[in-house]
Amino acid sequence: MDGNYNSYNSFGGGSGGGFMPGETNSPAGGKTFDRDNKTLRPVTVKQILDASQPFPEAPFQIDGADVANVLFMGQVRNISSQSTNVTYKIDDGTGEIEVKKWVDSATADNMDTDDNRAPADGKGEIQLNGYARVFGSIKSFGNKRYIGAHSVRVLSNINELHTHLLEATVVHLFFTRGPPGAAPAGGNVAGADAVMGGAGEYNEQNKALASMSPVAKKIYQLLQSEPQDHSGLHMQVIASRLNIPVTEIARAGEEMLGAGLVFSTLDDQTWAVLEY
Amino acid sequence: MSLQTPRILPSHLHAFHPSSSTGSTTYTVRILGTVTALHGSTGTLTCGTNGDVTLILKSDARLQVGKLVEVVGKVTDLEGGTGYALRVLGSTEWGDPADCDYKIYEQVVNATHRFTPIFYSVE
Repeated sequence: MDGNYNSYNSFGGGSGGGFMPGETNSPAGGKTFDRDNKTLRPVTVKQILDASQPFPEAPFQIDGADVANVLFMGQVRNISSQSTNVTYKIDDGTGEIEVKKWVDSATADNMDTDDNRAPADGKGEIQLNGYARVFGSIKSFGNKRYIGAHSVRVLSNINELHTHLLEATVVHLFFTRGPPGAAPAGGNVAGADAVMGGAGEYNEQNKALASMSPVAKKIYQLLQSEPQDHSGLHMQVIASRLNIPVTEIARAGEEMLGAGLVFSTLDDQTWAVLEY
Repeated sequence: MSLQTPRILPSHLHAFHPSSSTGSTTYTVRILGTVTALHGSTGTLTCGTNGDVTLILKSDARLQVGKLVEVVGKVTDLEGGTGYALRVLGSTEWGDPADCDYKIYEQVVNATHRFTPIFYSVE
């Protein structure tokens, strides 16, 4: 689990959340879970509600990975102010969850000065049915799940809401399917693309393919469409299918091997498409 | 079970119409668009380049033409015609449509229906 987290951090993170490699250096406290896990994970409310807990008091897990802090955005459906805390009900279209923000007079002052940076248009206040951006940790009390919020702010840009949902998807896919485009290059870039239509790897490959000779392109297409086992197709088979002399196939094959589009399997003349 | 309102585009309306679903799928959806016309109890929401949706408004609706609005509503039949309409349950105004990159919303809708487990439950 921890390994996943570390690789997530090296992956670059969608949220720019506060994980510093240096923070891992503090001595292990003999805890069953990782106190140094300070990742901030973008999620949907449904993911929080679906989060599992291996045993009571254990950290919550989403997609099999421990979650320390979560970030989500949604509409405020209810606000209830008490003397010690404010409870918001947040609905992001995937579910509803309660968010508790403890009132601390000292930090309340800080928040005020913070808000002064923005023009005083009265938008600093969380409003009913307005959007809010929340980060905090998942807690449970009895059977009820809620968020212990570190921050609840007004969300005023709709693009931020939408990109958040896409970020949550990227991170979900990272944990369920592994890093994007583990092969050739630009894993991070492909990561964004994977969500933008699930074609990240292909884009990378299409770029490489675009510079190939026409014969190479034909071979690539054939390798993608022709039924075959794991070992791909032999050069002779390709030649007869495409009706192109073997020598030309061999030359184009070399080109593609060089570009990392295909790889040789059983022998140097048998190729398969390098997809992942 | 909490209320789920998947984000959709006009082309998805049919999939969330009560008649098309099997069992207890949610019919309540969320859609983003620009209000382009208002006629008494109905309105038209234009969803980027993805077409229009007819809105059946509540009496206390306060929509304004030309504003970007996120609507939560239920899919119903268009009165006296063929097609679908959206009965508005609630709406949120997002101001100037120019401030929103609709392409991102289209991708959100795409992701919502491609990776449903993190967005809504299908029963």
